[in-house]
Amino acid sequence: MTVYYDDLFRLCGFEDDEMGKERLRVEKVLTKLELGPAEMRTARDWVRQNHDVSLVGVRKLLGAWLKELIDLVLAKDEGKKVVYFSFPSIQGPGMAIKAADPEGIYCACPDMVLCHTMGQIFNKLIPILEAGEENGLPPGHGLCSLQQIRVGGLAKGIIPMPDLIIGQSYYCDYGAKVDELLHEKYGHPVAYVDGCKDSKWGEYPAYLPERIKFLGEQLNKFFDKVNETLEVEVTSDAWGKAMAASRLLFSGLGRLTQLMTADPMPVSGVETALALNLSAASTGRAMVEGPEAVSILCEEVEKRVESGIGIIKKGAPRILTLFPAISDASLIHMMEEVGLAVSATLLSVPLPKASQRIPYATPTEVRAEAEMRAGLYHSSFAIAKRFEDVAKTLKVDGVIWGYQHSCRPNAAGSHTIKKWVEENTGLPTLSLEMDFFDSRYYSAGALRTRVEAFADMLRARQASAGDRR
Amino acid sequence: MEAVDKLSEHLKTRMADLVKAKSEGNKIIGYTPGGYLPEELVFASGAIPIGLIRGGDHSIVELAGAYICHWMDTFFRAQIGYGVSGQDPYYGIIDFLIIPITDCHVEALSNVLDYNTNLQILPFGVPHMKEKSTLSYYLHGLKRVKAKLEELTGVEINEPRLREAIHLCNRERQLLREISLLRKSEQVPISSLDFVTLNHGSFLADKEFMIKILELARDELREQAASVQKGPRILLTGSTLAMGDSKVLDIVEEFGGVIVIEEFAEGIRPYWKNINLNGELMETLANFYFMERVPPAWFRPGRERHNFLIKLAKEFNVAGVIWYQLMYRESYKIESYYFPSILKRETGLPMLTVESDYDPSETGQIRTRIETFIETIRR
Repeated sequence: MTVYYDDLFRLCGFEDDEMGKERLRVEKVLTKLELGPAEMRTARDWVRQNHDVSLVGVRKLLGAWLKELIDLVLAKDEGKKVVYFSFPSIQGPGMAIKAADPEGIYCACPDMVLCHTMGQIFNKLIPILEAGEENGLPPGHGLCSLQQIRVGGLAKGIIPMPDLIIGQSYYCDYGAKVDELLHEKYGHPVAYVDGCKDSKWGEYPAYLPERIKFLGEQLNKFFDKVNETLEVEVTSDAWGKAMAASRLLFSGLGRLTQLMTADPMPVSGVETALALNLSAASTGRAMVEGPEAVSILCEEVEKRVESGIGIIKKGAPRILTLFPAISDASLIHMMEEVGLAVSATLLSVPLPKASQRIPYATPTEVRAEAEMRAGLYHSSFAIAKRFEDVAKTLKVDGVIWGYQHSCRPNAAGSHTIKKWVEENTGLPTLSLEMDFFDSRYYSAGALRTRVEAFADMLRARQASAGDRR
Repeated sequence: MEAVDKLSEHLKTRMADLVKAKSEGNKIIGYTPGGYLPEELVFASGAIPIGLIRGGDHSIVELAGAYICHWMDTFFRAQIGYGVSGQDPYYGIIDFLIIPITDCHVEALSNVLDYNTNLQILPFGVPHMKEKSTLSYYLHGLKRVKAKLEELTGVEINEPRLREAIHLCNRERQLLREISLLRKSEQVPISSLDFVTLNHGSFLADKEFMIKILELARDELREQAASVQKGPRILLTGSTLAMGDSKVLDIVEEFGGVIVIEEFAEGIRPYWKNINLNGELMETLANFYFMERVPPAWFRPGRERHNFLIKLAKEFNVAGVIWYQLMYRESYKIESYYFPSILKRETGLPMLTVESDYDPSETGQIRTRIETFIETIRR
């Protein structure tokens, strides 16, 4: 017998046997989220509108996100200890906790899970954002909408109270403060991992070795807190397993990134973002379903590349941007509709090789060093330099420095990064304030005129370069 | 107050004094006024510290719009405006700018000024938790500052010089403390405006002169030469109280309230303790400035500051708290949501939150809210 949600779940890659097995869990979750037949119809249309569901890999990725949502909502009911972390976060600690006790712990970034499911699949994020606004993060104060989603999700009771929060204190002050707000409100413990972005402008890729030592010590302290709070010991074996699982997923993501450089661009940046963000938000489904879904997607995309199939016309200007789509696919789609190939984001390209050879004593210091190299947690200058380096390596035609409205770390370089990239690459760079999580503030429609003009300019440059040749 | 008048006269000629000092080969070191740069290090190197403390002018904040988006802290946007425009002459005279990086707003200032001006800048990190590893990181930062100052001035910061500088700064802290504590009395002998003027002056004035001014102020107050303030007693707290941003102080006074104690992360020099000269002095400095200081709201968790505010509210016997935050300083915004219930639970006191972007158009609304608050607590 077909049930009202079957169409949507099948569209999102659920197989018949999975539907049978998961039915009870699915129904519990849909009831809790107040998602009925009408919402399923809307969601089905929304998914078809925003995603290329002709690709099995895309459907599998959407399915992995849905399963992550189910795991999240039911984690407490199913007897799991719940650990939350923020986005962005250092890859590793969350996965290591999960690897230390795969059956007993649920560990994820819940706001990102809600973005990709309640946002990208059900288009029902706004009531959650509003609940966040009513519970300590009011509108009009430049407060990050991603955190409003977390606060709103807890206030509405749709995500479970955590047993521990990993307070990311090395990138953003706001996220750590929201963790404190939630602690004051609900009383759960927070384990902060602290850091200081105190590199001088121009310093990247160099860094003070003390930053590595400091961050490594903070991560070790954090694992002690995990042990004390959750009675879970994160051994070197668990850490190793987490790193191995991560490598497997990231090798697939690397392959996908490479395929995105084909001309014509074979698939929307929205779809690659589904994979990339899953790796950043989930320690469960990302590791279980993620590698296979990415592998299927890669094979499908490879076939498109071999056949010269693209989603926009060959020769379209290729651009590099900061973040992929998160809660709303329409921003990236809008860029593609005006004829830009959003072929890479700063987060989707591999890390540069280590330039400093310092023997680090602990696995956490090794991790800290890699993160410093990646740039995001190093400094605003590191982001500027990464833009420059990646733009040159990928030979893109332009850069969209699309920074998150209300994100303080992004704001630190809101104007300087554009200037730096233009001066050091000669590439046209569009600075675009947007909101990756809350489309009420920056919708695709509102930004379209500027992106269209930018696309026209890139095409004119291409034509002029062609004339000169 | 005579002391305030004399300080005002001194500050009028301070720039000329600094120009002269610079021409004689002295180095002038600017710093952001968050209380994490030990001035003692600057004095011990023979240089002159200048806290970049000016604010309150919306036109400067608007000017910063060409360099950074608007949803960053107002005071630091103002510093960007002053730094790039040269409209604060102190930015033009400093040889070096030391920026303790406390949060994203300060990091933004460091980046924007480094990229858009010729200022020589040394950022160093202030972690957000009080632990062994964070103290060690802060100490490492201070050692970098020390090395840079020695390189700039050619003077070795040795123990005798540092000890002497600590004595000097201790004297200033002690005098500020003595004056401030007089306000515990039922008869409040000094207005908040005057106390804040003295405290602000300490960021700019010649230190020896400032100590004399503070001694004069203390003596004046002991002799009850100054007028006594009466009205509902208020604790004023918040993120930054800049020189030139006296809006809230003026309005409270206008409606008959008396601010008897201020607690701010930036713009008010911490004066609650003196440095104990035991032990290795660099470690002592790090311990004093990082571990012993009541932390701002961007420390995690923020309970130590909440407890301190509650203690101040009780000791200074206030009738209410005004929480004055600048726009987009998220740590303060978030705490302003849940601190009132903690305050109510612990003391029964009400709290009014006031926000500012240094915009003159806010004044009417702020006046109405403060007036109503004072009327409420007066009953």
